[in-house]
Amino acid sequence: MSELWQALAQGVFIGSTYGLLALGMGLVYGVSGVVNFAHGDFISLAMFMCLALFSAFSLDPYVSVLITIPVMTAIGALVYRFLLRPMVGYKFLMVVQLTLGLSLVLQNGILMIFGGQPARTPSIVESKLIILGDVVLRLAHVIACAVAFAMAIGLYVMLRSTDFGRSIRAVHQNAHAAALMGIDVGRVQVMTFALGIGILAVAAALLLPGTPIQPTQGLQYTVITLLVVVLGGMTNFVGIMLGGLVIGISEAMGTVYVSDTLGRLVPYAIFVLIMLFRPQGLTWRAS
Amino acid sequence: MLEVEGLVAGYAGTPILRDISLRLDRGETVGLLGANNAGKTTLINSLSGIVTPMAGRIIFDGRDVTRATPMQRVEMGIIQVPEGRLVFPEMSVRENLLLGGFCDRARPLRPRQMEKVLALFPRLKERLSQPAGTLSGGEQQMLAIGRGLMAEARVLMLDEPSLGLSPLFVQYIFGIVDQLHKDGLTMLLVEQNLNLTLRHAQRCYVLERGHIAVEGAAEVVKNDPRTRQAYLGL
Ligand SMILES: Nc1ncnc2c1ncn2[C@@H]1O[C@H](COP(=O)(O)OP(=O)(O)O)[C@@H](O)[C@H]1O
Ligand SMILES: [Mg+2]
Repeated sequence: MSELWQALAQGVFIGSTYGLLALGMGLVYGVSGVVNFAHGDFISLAMFMCLALFSAFSLDPYVSVLITIPVMTAIGALVYRFLLRPMVGYKFLMVVQLTLGLSLVLQNGILMIFGGQPARTPSIVESKLIILGDVVLRLAHVIACAVAFAMAIGLYVMLRSTDFGRSIRAVHQNAHAAALMGIDVGRVQVMTFALGIGILAVAAALLLPGTPIQPTQGLQYTVITLLVVVLGGMTNFVGIMLGGLVIGISEAMGTVYVSDTLGRLVPYAIFVLIMLFRPQGLTWRAS
Repeated sequence: MLEVEGLVAGYAGTPILRDISLRLDRGETVGLLGANNAGKTTLINSLSGIVTPMAGRIIFDGRDVTRATPMQRVEMGIIQVPEGRLVFPEMSVRENLLLGGFCDRARPLRPRQMEKVLALFPRLKERLSQPAGTLSGGEQQMLAIGRGLMAEARVLMLDEPSLGLSPLFVQYIFGIVDQLHKDGLTMLLVEQNLNLTLRHAQRCYVLERGHIAVEGAAEVVKNDPRTRQAYLGL
């Protein structure tokens, strides 16, 4: 029984971070129609930036975010402005190819600088545990969960009740009408992409403690993010967070109840099952 | 106030509008008539900066705005209420109105302007927190006009506001147009509905396959045989 609670708790903690990763992708898809296949490699990039900052200045990942957030946000803005924007809107497959190319560039760039060995970025919380009865929780997971939900709520409030948030939703619902309101659609797209990449800096720091990293991990994160976004119905905020939890929990259940390698397939199996019965995603609304 | 000279515009290098010249004076309601596909929406989108002109000039308040972006034109007060209303369906009536006043010039004035708009459309007041997508067609048209007014429009361009509405709502919307005219607003009324527009506009232009076939005072346009021809010719 405690095993079940253990897996469930771990799933929720990881899943909330997956949800956060996917919110960025969903937002970008919502306003520009771009599916970014380099999403996971941007997470890698943020993680290796944390590693570099630790090696150079012994910074804890939780401190490094102060540097990685602005840097990743700026990188996101530049990538969208100069690489994606010229193609967005009329050539979906070319945009996909471009982001795949970007994925390879990032992956090999990281490989060149850091080498292929798995690495670890130490953190003060890495070995701290919280014991609740039979269930042992890692402090890093609890922090990840709390921060991920706090950020999701913050994003939600921003989208609901600020002019910037409303302009993002307006572009998503009808870009032509948004332009007629005096909204600079191109600028909203750049800023949303930058926001989506900036969020990854936070997610990277949340995932880092206790997790070995390697340059080739990006695709794995991209795939997980895609699963979550599709489960969530692409642009549905609550659906995406829910999708994150589903994938996180099935991953945790898989590794606890099924053998380690086979267990990794569980999230995909669950995904296929859900998609068979609910192709529109988890949420109830059709749009 | 707004002047168009020799405008040529279209899509992907193919001109739809050929040599359009027209004028809107301050406080006037000008009708822009034409059958389906005559190019009315293309013209209004050129005025909004959505369609880029291939030739010609657009002058607003003595300033050449031919190359201005849609955002800059909204900032100047050139506001379009688009064909098919295009309200933001998943946002509440209130949020739609707030977005109408998104531009820098209108933003600080939103609370006051919101009151005015809700006084003009009491129906919207009852539905403030309802998603715009759940409104009836007539209510969506009220919202689209209200949203345009939130931008502190100096020229309001209405693209086929009567499209798809019941006769009762059409009457109501044109009553609103008259009221706005009395308040001194400059308007461009784009319509297919000939007789109705002739009754509510002081001057009219009739667009036929991308060029202006007839223009003049409403009475003159009404009695010009070329007006009927322009409609039948398509
Ligand atoms: N986005 C577009 N791309 C290409 N052609 C268009 C587009 N919009 C309209 N057209 C064409 O331009 C012509 C005029 O259309 P439009 O301006 O919408 O006329 P109206 O508003 O008078 O019905 C039509 O032949 C239409 O097919
Ligand atoms: Mg039209």
